[in-house]
Amino acid sequence: MSDKDVTLRVENVTKRFGDFTAVDDLSLEVRAGRVFGFLGPNGAGKTTTIRMIVGITAPDEGRIGLFGERMSARLQDRIGYLPEERGLYKKMKVADQLRYFAALKDLTGKEAERRIDRWLERMNLSEWKSKKTTDLSKGMQQKIQFISTVLHDPDLLILDEPFSGLDPVNVEFMIDVLAEFKQKDKTVIFSTHLMETAERLCHDIILINKSKKVIGGSLRQVKESYGRNVIALRAAGGEAVLADRNLVKSVVYHADEAEIEIADGADAQLILKNLIGAGAEITKFEQVEPSLNDIFIDQVGGEK
Amino acid sequence: MRKFIAVVKHEYRKIVLKWTFLLGTLLFPVIGACFALVPAFIFSIKGEPTRIVIVDPTNKIGMRIRENLAPDKIAARSDQAVRGAVKDMPVAQPGQMNQPPMQGQATFVFIDYNATGRSPDEIRQDLNEMAAANKIDAYLIAPSSIDSKDARFEFRSRKAGDFIASDILRDVINDAVRSQRLADANINEKSVMELSRRVTIDSKSLDDKGREKDSDMLLAASFIIGLMIYITLAIYGQVIMGAVVEEKETRIAEILFSSARPYELMLGKLVGVGLAGLTQLSIWVISIAGLIGFLAVQSDLSSLFGGMPHITPLMVAYFLLYFLLGYFAYASIFALIGSVVTTVQEGGQFAFPPVMLMLIGFYFSFAVIRDPNSSLSFWVSISPFFAPMTMPVRILAETPPFWQIALSVGINVLTIAALVWLASRVYRVGMLMYGKRATLPEIWKWIRQV
Repeated sequence: MSDKDVTLRVENVTKRFGDFTAVDDLSLEVRAGRVFGFLGPNGAGKTTTIRMIVGITAPDEGRIGLFGERMSARLQDRIGYLPEERGLYKKMKVADQLRYFAALKDLTGKEAERRIDRWLERMNLSEWKSKKTTDLSKGMQQKIQFISTVLHDPDLLILDEPFSGLDPVNVEFMIDVLAEFKQKDKTVIFSTHLMETAERLCHDIILINKSKKVIGGSLRQVKESYGRNVIALRAAGGEAVLADRNLVKSVVYHADEAEIEIADGADAQLILKNLIGAGAEITKFEQVEPSLNDIFIDQVGGEK
Repeated sequence: MRKFIAVVKHEYRKIVLKWTFLLGTLLFPVIGACFALVPAFIFSIKGEPTRIVIVDPTNKIGMRIRENLAPDKIAARSDQAVRGAVKDMPVAQPGQMNQPPMQGQATFVFIDYNATGRSPDEIRQDLNEMAAANKIDAYLIAPSSIDSKDARFEFRSRKAGDFIASDILRDVINDAVRSQRLADANINEKSVMELSRRVTIDSKSLDDKGREKDSDMLLAASFIIGLMIYITLAIYGQVIMGAVVEEKETRIAEILFSSARPYELMLGKLVGVGLAGLTQLSIWVISIAGLIGFLAVQSDLSSLFGGMPHITPLMVAYFLLYFLLGYFAYASIFALIGSVVTTVQEGGQFAFPPVMLMLIGFYFSFAVIRDPNSSLSFWVSISPFFAPMTMPVRILAETPPFWQIALSVGINVLTIAALVWLASRVYRVGMLMYGKRATLPEIWKWIRQV
């Protein structure tokens, strides 16, 4: 893959705090125009990694390349970063805050004013422009924080747990903006521990746990590598087949269907054949991919 | 550099465009004046007359005391005291001084009491009862003989702490006793008074060119300058700390650090807030200069300011320079504290050491006023932390040789460089450490961290 297609390249990065290794020999690549999910339980090292990517801290070992260059202060202007714990100046007017954050990304003057007005209008916050943060509701503050992240039209958007504490309307809104970014061939990285959201939005993922990479790649690849060992079955009869421990490892009955885990070394086709042979009336037989949630629990929970 | 300027502008506007800045700028001189005038005003409020009984077994001294306690005598006495306190007032103002201030005097009403035939203990008991019944406020019992060595006047008063009355009374009694003794010895009191009259001393110090300077005005001006630097340093130091803690508390630091280098951010903050402080100080200095200039034009008042120390533009420049030297030294300490603590309240506790240092510097400035050429004055005016308060005072009192000023500036610039470096090392790590206050070993580790 050429450097042009790769927005971010993290190579063998390690970060230690005293005796504690927060990130251990981590490598990853984020391709341009993709949404990249950075997954892992709390304390896995996500925020530490992100802080190194945006240049807040430097790695102890390894190398971080951004837009084909080595990470530097100058490149920070092309990143929009929304930290997990975020805030605003309490007693400052909305417009003044946005102006300041824009100036720190080297966006000033008329262009800054124009964009501030446009974004406030889009978020239905125009009439709050000269109000102070303390007058705003929490949801409004979140919108302002988000505006400050995207105001300078960054090429890489990094959102650390963007949906935590967000109301559903704002979640939908943010997802819309992400889609827009994707269309403009910009890159989005977001970290989350909400697997449903990740599954819905990400092209590529990496799962890290205890400072180390566990699994990574495109969502498709990850799921395929995990195999299809679960069958969703809706059928009348054939109980004897399901009781055969050589074929079926376990059965979980839901309201109107059963989730069947195939025994190691067994074959889904054989189960189907046996079911038909046993005279079962089958209305649904589907080999199900494991959900990201299943993979997450399997990988992260399994190590405990 | 552009981001640094953005930070400076942001911090400057954040302070200067607030109405509290305007209020503080206008209010400080008012508050300063209040500090000077309110106590004087309170003490000038006239108290109720003191009802007093004078018991005099000799029948001599009592009369004299009564005479001396007459309102016009007391007025003359307080007039003398006022003259003593404002002896720097030029002689060109005699008209004002001739009117004795009528407030602030204790007045006495004499209550008659017949003590004949009663023992001292009975007299005391009677008078105590009268006092308890609120018929009298105080009583004075003279000794039977004023010539004996252990002659003792007894003064008892219900008005606790009425020190104006008791002060005057002490003088009055002593004067009365002296007059009586002189009369008893057949000495003409008038000629004794003439012979023992005190002379006045016109005290002025000389500046380095041998010109006269008025030391009392100098004292006042030095005090005001020391106080002004001390107060602005304390205020703007706390402002820095508050701003740093706010960015840490609200986690804005994380966004800032992802946009600009911590060093740029911290230095921009120091410079922005410092410029705001300089603005405020300049407004004060210019308005004081303007006021003095205005008063100088009013010819009848110019004599009052005739003793004003000669302040040159160079002195004003030094004064502002030393404000900045002090500001950057203390502000970087406050920034360091702000980035280590988790709340403003916690920061307040840790602000004690730098505030203490400032206060010591402020107190040293008195020693400098008293003797600007002593070796103590030399050392404190070149030392870090104290020079910002002491050197401007020294320059005003008795401008030291240039090499001393240069040395002092040099030492303080180096101190600032070291402190800013230290603070920025702590700042860049501390700002991202949430939840708990850092311990000293941790801070030491951050400083050494590459």
